[in-house]
Amino acid sequence: MRFLLRTLSLSYVRRHLAKTILTLLGVVVGVATFSSIESAKETLVKGIRSTVDRVAGKAQLQITMEGGVPEGVQEQIRALPGIRATSPVIEQIVTPEKGELGSLMVIGIDLLGDREMRDYGFEGDDADLDDPLLFLAQPDSAIFTRQFSEKAGLKSGGSIALKVPKGVKKVTARGVLTPKGFAEAFGGNLMVVDVYAAQDLFGRGRRFDRIDVRLDEGTSIAQGTSVLEKALGPAYRVETPGKRGEQIEKIVANFVAGFNVSSGFALAIGIFLIFNAFNVAVNRRRRDIGTLRALGATPRQVQLLFLAEALVIGLAGGLLGTLAGTTFSQAFLKMMGQTSETLYGVTSSGVVRLPPVVVLQSMLLGIVASLIGAWGPALTASRISPTEAFAKGAFQARPPGNPAMRIIAGVATLGSAVLMAIKPPFGGNPFIFAELLLGGAGIMLLVGPLARLLLICLVPLVTRCAPVAGRLAGDTLLGNARRTSGTIMAMALSLTFVLGLGGYMGSTKKALERWMNDSLTCDLFVRASANFNRPDFLFPGGLRDELLQLPGVKSVESFRATRPLYQGHQIQVTSIEIAPLLERMKYDFTQGSVETMRRGLTMEGKCAVSDNFSRRFKLRVGQSVELATPEGKVSFQIAAVMRDYGSDQGTVLLDRSQFLRYWQDDRVDIYDVSVLPGTPVGQVRDLIRVMLSGRYPALVSTRQEFIAEISKAIDAFYALTRVTLFLALLVAFLGIVTALLISVAERTREIGILKALGALPAQLARGIVQEALLLALVGLVLALPAGNLFASFMEGPLAELFTGWIMPHLYPWDILVQLLVALPLISALAAWIPARQAGRMKIVEAIEYE
Amino acid sequence: MLKLHDVTKTYAGKSEVNALAGINISIGAGEMVAVMGPSGSGKSTLLNLLGGLDVPTSGQVVVAGTDLAGENEKERSLFRRSKISYIFQAYHLMPTLKVSQNVALPLHLAGMATGEIDRKVARALKDVGLEARGNHLPDELSGGERQRVAIARALVTDAPLLLADEPTGNLDSARGAEILELLTAINRERGTTIVIVTHDHNAASACARLIKLRDGRVEGDSGVAGGGA
Repeated sequence: MRFLLRTLSLSYVRRHLAKTILTLLGVVVGVATFSSIESAKETLVKGIRSTVDRVAGKAQLQITMEGGVPEGVQEQIRALPGIRATSPVIEQIVTPEKGELGSLMVIGIDLLGDREMRDYGFEGDDADLDDPLLFLAQPDSAIFTRQFSEKAGLKSGGSIALKVPKGVKKVTARGVLTPKGFAEAFGGNLMVVDVYAAQDLFGRGRRFDRIDVRLDEGTSIAQGTSVLEKALGPAYRVETPGKRGEQIEKIVANFVAGFNVSSGFALAIGIFLIFNAFNVAVNRRRRDIGTLRALGATPRQVQLLFLAEALVIGLAGGLLGTLAGTTFSQAFLKMMGQTSETLYGVTSSGVVRLPPVVVLQSMLLGIVASLIGAWGPALTASRISPTEAFAKGAFQARPPGNPAMRIIAGVATLGSAVLMAIKPPFGGNPFIFAELLLGGAGIMLLVGPLARLLLICLVPLVTRCAPVAGRLAGDTLLGNARRTSGTIMAMALSLTFVLGLGGYMGSTKKALERWMNDSLTCDLFVRASANFNRPDFLFPGGLRDELLQLPGVKSVESFRATRPLYQGHQIQVTSIEIAPLLERMKYDFTQGSVETMRRGLTMEGKCAVSDNFSRRFKLRVGQSVELATPEGKVSFQIAAVMRDYGSDQGTVLLDRSQFLRYWQDDRVDIYDVSVLPGTPVGQVRDLIRVMLSGRYPALVSTRQEFIAEISKAIDAFYALTRVTLFLALLVAFLGIVTALLISVAERTREIGILKALGALPAQLARGIVQEALLLALVGLVLALPAGNLFASFMEGPLAELFTGWIMPHLYPWDILVQLLVALPLISALAAWIPARQAGRMKIVEAIEYE
Repeated sequence: MLKLHDVTKTYAGKSEVNALAGINISIGAGEMVAVMGPSGSGKSTLLNLLGGLDVPTSGQVVVAGTDLAGENEKERSLFRRSKISYIFQAYHLMPTLKVSQNVALPLHLAGMATGEIDRKVARALKDVGLEARGNHLPDELSGGERQRVAIARALVTDAPLLLADEPTGNLDSARGAEILELLTAINRERGTTIVIVTHDHNAASACARLIKLRDGRVEGDSGVAGGGA
């Protein structure tokens, strides 16, 4: 086998280098997408976990509560049995004014009491902070790691400007940490400040983010947890740092898991490119195969030869793809990091390191994809009899398999996929896998015969428009059913992906826009934090009265959102003054009505839930949601279910009075301000700005600005998905180029005869362009229903599985129009090189070719 | 060596074609036989059946004691590897392999050790007078030389049966005569059974026996009593 690979296969590669490189590129793009996304994901998740572990120091338990842990809790637990030390912590990610330094994690700790919890390896002239009191006396004091100090050129006593909620603030370096243990957290981009200074800096009020706890020797984790849970009640979470890290890791890993679909698609398209290339290789080398068989090669030896070639391509593609992936992964990490920071308030900083397991997975993926692509053609090769191989044109003339059987099998398979999507027999990943498998198999079975039927219908039309070129293109495509169906398969798959994912993105965005238009109906939004999902500053509750005093203000509602865990999911609990809200808002109710909601929430202490919450947790109107509050566990009966896109895990909406009663926390995320009719909105905005200036960080946006900002955040969320859409189109383009190059090479003799009969290079070129256009057109026509099905699957069952939402289905007309403009251009571009090749062919050589 | 008993071969299609219609032929070990006939008489089909490249619709094709009609694809491949060698009109050399690599190909397929292969290839090339052309590509050779490479490839396995399909069809008369001389020498010196399918009367006259085919039937066999040559 080695001899055959070294001689026959290598020489084929040498003779068809361009086509081999294009085939290889299909694998490279697929693997690169996978490896870059996977390594960025691994780095992000591991970085977050490592930061949680390192920052935890010697803490064995951590106490957290949604909305923050009140200061008094530290006193409350200090004297409990088994507790050795407690230390409050505030964590916040900020950006230095010099953006190139990267995000900086600020840890607020009690420097006087924290030595029990963390080892501070101070170094340099201040081998220790000689006088911690002096440090604390100066509120701008900060300690940096040596790594960050060097990067920022920061010396002891030097200052650096940071963007914090209250604006840009300068802090002064008054200590340097050795990059070891704790100081290595967040890739060393760490700053330590006094916890009380951090409270002020980040609007935490009189609360901490958490309290770290170290237990007495002899007290087990279980004992410590039990003592603390008993003392604090159900609103508090008492966890080991490891468990907390796992929880954060799980949430972020779920978010990034969606990107696996993109790399899966890129690889699937790559498989079809390989299939096509090998199909053609088998066709072109059939005489060699015949000779080998006549010399005694067994069918298995022939099959193994092609599979060995696929293995080499898979290995090379896997290796190159992994290497190419490393160059994209840093950019992917940045995009994922920004989104995870926006969505979950956690991120990781650092350089992507390619984990060995990702290298192994990528290589395996490349090899498996290549072997799957080559399997069919290799099998066909092994079945070629020597007599058939030596008969000229026998292989090309071989009719495709029974189309009726394929269509029946395809319809049955695709039908099962649709039925399963309507009524899923099981859930989770097995359901997605089974759906993609059945749907993919159905499309694969149908594309070949349907493409042929379409071509039979289209060729006469094209021939009428361009008699010579159209006839040439049509004959070529119909004359080689296998190659045509392989190319159209790759094309249709790429376009299905583009239309499906693009359609899903479009309908999601449109649904969100409609919801925003219906629900964000006040005139001004006053908020302290730019981050919608994890506000880093909260307003005091008393500010509402001050806002109401301003001239021109009609009403003000106080919106507050917390994100507690509910049955292992990070849901959103929101509260607002319901009565005035319902006056201006148009909710789309799936259960209950505006009346049941008004009465239930304002008078009966009930709650309303979003449709995705209702679906995810199978709760309906009349049933109850049990929430953990500082007052203990409280059940809220559901008064209404409405469409709401506030949280992908589900939202519970309460009247503000209920929130104040049970959570005893009057802080506010956003004040919704409505102005009196006839009052200019800009005028009220200016008044609010003046009132808050110097007191609180304040972003005052008009309704249009607020909606535009949220839309921008949604666009940022889909940025990575758009990159994968581009990659899918790139692979489709490679598919057309490969197919046309192959087509020209295969028809060398035919082109030679045509030229001998007087065909002009321009006529041949037009034929090849027509061929490319027909391939693209048939691919697109087949992708229209397939993409629609894929989009419906993503908007329906898949979205429901991950978010509980069912997105309304809207056909992606905008993408279709873009494709209708772009595809002919891309196809003509792809036809350019093959057309030139055909035009330059020498007649005598071409006629001799076989 | 070869025995065909009531062999028929029908090609199915829009209209059925009876390529061979009940053929009975027996060829002994060491014979050199020519098969002649007009186009469509069944010559190539006969050669394909003798070489195990194809199977009959009915009847028996016994080669060296093995009924090829009863063997599966793999068994026939392994049988071919050890018992049968081929020479084609179009040479069927691998254009990208050097002459020595082309000759070595069947031995590599059989999994022979490299040292043994080198030795056998050198001997086969010497036998056909091409020892100096081992490192050339087929394109760099004349037609006669290419056919010699094909003969060397046939000789290298020491197969007892050599089937030749129009071995002089692509050559001028001088080169054709050389090839026929070479084949006669192989038959004489090695005792290899040779069956040549040909249109060339010179090739036929180089053989001790002539079988004539017409419309899928044996029209004449000079080796059988009553057969006309």
